[in-house]
Amino acid sequence: MLKILRLEFLFSRRQLVITLSIFSAYFSYMATQIRSPRVFIVLTSVMIGVAMPFLVLAREDKFKTASLICSLPVRRSTVVLGKYTATWGATVLGLGCALLLMAVFPFSKIPVGEVLTVKSLLITLFLISLIFAVILPFTIRFGLVGVIVLLVGSQVLGILALLITHMLRGAKDPLRVFFLPFQKGLKALFYHETTPGYLLTLLTLIIAFSAASLFISRVLYARREL
Amino acid sequence: MEYALEATGLCKEYPGFTLRDVSFALPRGYIMGLIGPNGAGKTTVVKLILNIVRRTAGRIKVFGLDNLAAETEVKSRIGFVLDEMPFYGYLKVDAIASVIAPYYKTWDSGRFEGLCREFELPRRKRVNALSRGMKMKLALAVALSHGAELILMDEPTSGLDPVFRRELLERLSGLIQDGRTSILFSTHLTSDLERVADYITCLREGELVFSTTRDEILEKWALVKGGPDLLDAATGGLFRGVRRGPYGVTALTSDKEEALRRLAGRDAVVERLRLDDLVFFLAHEGSPGREARYE
Repeated sequence: MLKILRLEFLFSRRQLVITLSIFSAYFSYMATQIRSPRVFIVLTSVMIGVAMPFLVLAREDKFKTASLICSLPVRRSTVVLGKYTATWGATVLGLGCALLLMAVFPFSKIPVGEVLTVKSLLITLFLISLIFAVILPFTIRFGLVGVIVLLVGSQVLGILALLITHMLRGAKDPLRVFFLPFQKGLKALFYHETTPGYLLTLLTLIIAFSAASLFISRVLYARREL
Repeated sequence: MEYALEATGLCKEYPGFTLRDVSFALPRGYIMGLIGPNGAGKTTVVKLILNIVRRTAGRIKVFGLDNLAAETEVKSRIGFVLDEMPFYGYLKVDAIASVIAPYYKTWDSGRFEGLCREFELPRRKRVNALSRGMKMKLALAVALSHGAELILMDEPTSGLDPVFRRELLERLSGLIQDGRTSILFSTHLTSDLERVADYITCLREGELVFSTTRDEILEKWALVKGGPDLLDAATGGLFRGVRRGPYGVTALTSDKEEALRRLAGRDAVVERLRLDDLVFFLAHEGSPGREARYE
């Protein structure tokens, strides 16, 4: 697997530097605008969760190199494991970059002490693993086009849901109705009492989502025709 | 006889194309040419051996090992050159070698460097900046740098200049002299195969036409040239493909002896076959509507 990681690093290092530079500028700006650590965590998780799979996996799609790697003496399951590890590696770098900027950037308004806690970090990783659980198998199976279809499809479904909600209930703010479950879920995550049991549950869920996603990706990649 | 490669009842279904029941065997230490018109299934066969597409049915054995059950071991003994070699474009030639080398225990850096020099490959240049011919040379250098016992090549000579093509063919002939290296070589340029191939496997529209030795083909198959009256009751069923022209008829037969016997005393000539004639006529074999046109 180290061979795959080395290959992914060599292949993506330029993109990684570009992405981290953009992230640094973005997080620096956001740190001056946001006071709430919860908003910062959610925004950071979404940004990193969506960007890193693209960063690592889209390169293979662009250069159609999957047939090269799959012709080498390496199992496809190892290739997938390598891609997951590379994506998580890039994620840790992105997170590190965001946290460092938040802590040392002189104009940062975010209370560092509230973000740099085990609970906050676990919530961040939980949100990222949720996004990865959907996006990584999709990217691995269908490539960049698949993810674009997924994102556009989700937006179309969202719009349809809004329209239907609006028509059926005549709600003034259908967006609120649509995002209410997410909001409630996030609130429950952030405001739950920090007990060892809660932290352990979060950790277990992160591992479970990642393992399930990895399993699905391995099956999909094994079936992929190149 | 020990085989480097055995394909049995190979099937692969794509929308609009089906590879049907293809079987052939390549003995160790020989070169096999895979020929056929466009869309015959040559690339599909190479991809099936490498397991980059999944077979619908059939079995492939490489050095007696199933190519799926022993995938890693089998691939470590295979060198490959794909039609569109998908290298990492931003990497330099040297970097390509450095990312591929760790996958092969038998990788020989000195050999790779020697091949780069011999092929005049600019090792500091990015792959994106290489011409198609140069990319093909890079693929060849990689395929020949780890002592592969089976070399799979899908259109390796396309994009190469005639001088290098000739040199490559000589190199391939030299490679099999050790008696352990075998080569499966798919190409449109059948003249290349006439120089080096020991066995020829011909596919058409996903079906196997024949798989046999080159000598047997040249011994049994032939071109028959004659006047417009060549096609009559006496020659019925003798020809596999026919080309009509204003001055006569040229036809392909797979039974030279029978052709000579039936055409004795007639105004017809039985000529030695070239492989490109074979592909041309077989592409048009069958119904009269598909008969070869004479220009």
